[in-house]
Amino acid sequence: MSKSLAERLGPLLVIIGLFLVWQAVGMMIGEDYFPTPIALIPAMRTLLSDGDIWGDLGHSLWRLAMGFLLAIVTAAPLGIVAGRSKAVRDFITPLLSLFYPIPKAALIPIFMLWFGAGDLSKILIIYLSVTLPIVYHGQQGARSVDDKLIWSAQAMGTGRLGLLLRVVLPAALPELLLGVRVALVIGLIVMITSEMIVRQNGLGYYLFNSMDMAQYKLTYLVIVIVGALGLVLDFGFELIRQRLTFWSPRQREPMVTEA
Amino acid sequence: MIAGFLGRALRQSYSVILLLLAWEVLARFGAVPRTLLPPVSLVIARTVEALLTQDFLADMGQTLIRLGAGLALAIVLGTALGIGAAQTRTGRLVFEPLVRVLGPLPKIALFPALLLLLGFDHAPRIALVLIDAIFPIVLAAYQAACTIDEKLIWSARAAGASTRGCMWRVVLPAALPQILTGIRVAAVIACVVVFLSEMVQPGDGLGDQMIRAARAFRSIDMFVPIVVISVLGFLLDHALSLIRSRALSWAP
Repeated sequence: MSKSLAERLGPLLVIIGLFLVWQAVGMMIGEDYFPTPIALIPAMRTLLSDGDIWGDLGHSLWRLAMGFLLAIVTAAPLGIVAGRSKAVRDFITPLLSLFYPIPKAALIPIFMLWFGAGDLSKILIIYLSVTLPIVYHGQQGARSVDDKLIWSAQAMGTGRLGLLLRVVLPAALPELLLGVRVALVIGLIVMITSEMIVRQNGLGYYLFNSMDMAQYKLTYLVIVIVGALGLVLDFGFELIRQRLTFWSPRQREPMVTEA
Repeated sequence: MIAGFLGRALRQSYSVILLLLAWEVLARFGAVPRTLLPPVSLVIARTVEALLTQDFLADMGQTLIRLGAGLALAIVLGTALGIGAAQTRTGRLVFEPLVRVLGPLPKIALFPALLLLLGFDHAPRIALVLIDAIFPIVLAAYQAACTIDEKLIWSARAAGASTRGCMWRVVLPAALPQILTGIRVAAVIACVVVFLSEMVQPGDGLGDQMIRAARAFRSIDMFVPIVVISVLGFLLDHALSLIRSRALSWAP
């Protein structure tokens, strides 16, 4: 009980601690370019009532959601199949290791050349970058399914598709969802970065635009918003993941291996 | 024997070869305009050409300085912090929620703040590489130090090793294999992040080469910096993997 309480309160205390440190350092520096969190509060009111930020937030989240949905629909099945079929695995593994060290967000100028300056190129960049961890972890999960489960299902006359959907998928789910969680953070990073590079709209654009106009308080506020978005997405998804896979033993913390 | 090796290499990477062939054929025979997708052979030739010019090498040098400094700091600080935090109860109590909160934050969003605080030259980029690359290392060091076989420490202490001697000669070597795995991941992240930092706020470096090419619509030159940084990440990853298996062959 006390452990779970510590686990629950820990992150909250850390967040409070971080704000306190920021406040102290900000007061020590005392310059415009490093405002304290308390100084941000009045700016927050204008930011939220202004309305600009909502449009940028909406643009960003829409592209993230689209890229992500596309990846779940295509990458998860691919990963599961690759986990069970050596031929598919042999085909995609070299491709995965080819794409792994490429800075995905850096491809945005090339994608804009190909797919135009609209949302499509940014959605595809997010799609590309979140595909990797989902395929990889889906494959790991599907590969490590206990053979006895598969034999039993086969002995009872389950077909190939039934086997994948009703035995392999549920058994691979904990690992697959771990990949989705990593992908969520990566997707957010790539979303922000591509918006910082292209600077049309979105949160990444807002960050640099406010900095260029010397509206430093807005810059820091958007940093806080982006950070909060990362935390909400990660903690929220982890809650869902634990609900969906309550039967599986606890998993290790994943490492975010991309940017 | 050489034929066997080649055959295996071919079987292990035929999909990549197919992809590159498809790229070459599509671009060569005009299925897609060359301005959009230059043939891969031209991209490779231009990359070699660029690597011989002073201008490109100067930018690459800037990138390598930032990459090297950021990664080196991440290795030293990450190892020290990870192992240090694992030694005491308070350390563990603080470390776990701290990493839990800081891990999923998109560190690149801090870049504007780093620019404002540290200026517009090397320092903010090195800092960004550091805060992004430190995570896999610090996590690996912490987890390794937490799961170390306590009998090793007891034996060393019984044999008269001091606490510090124990750290250097027992804990660190025992954690080294896992730390190296963390460094592998960190090296690739560092390559990506330094490149992105140069694209987001151009000035010089490989990322700036990419931005300059994009603004002038020189499509071949847009591929060159990406190829260089990706190959760099690929080579670092594989070199570290080789070190891991050669130098630490005693580790499982």
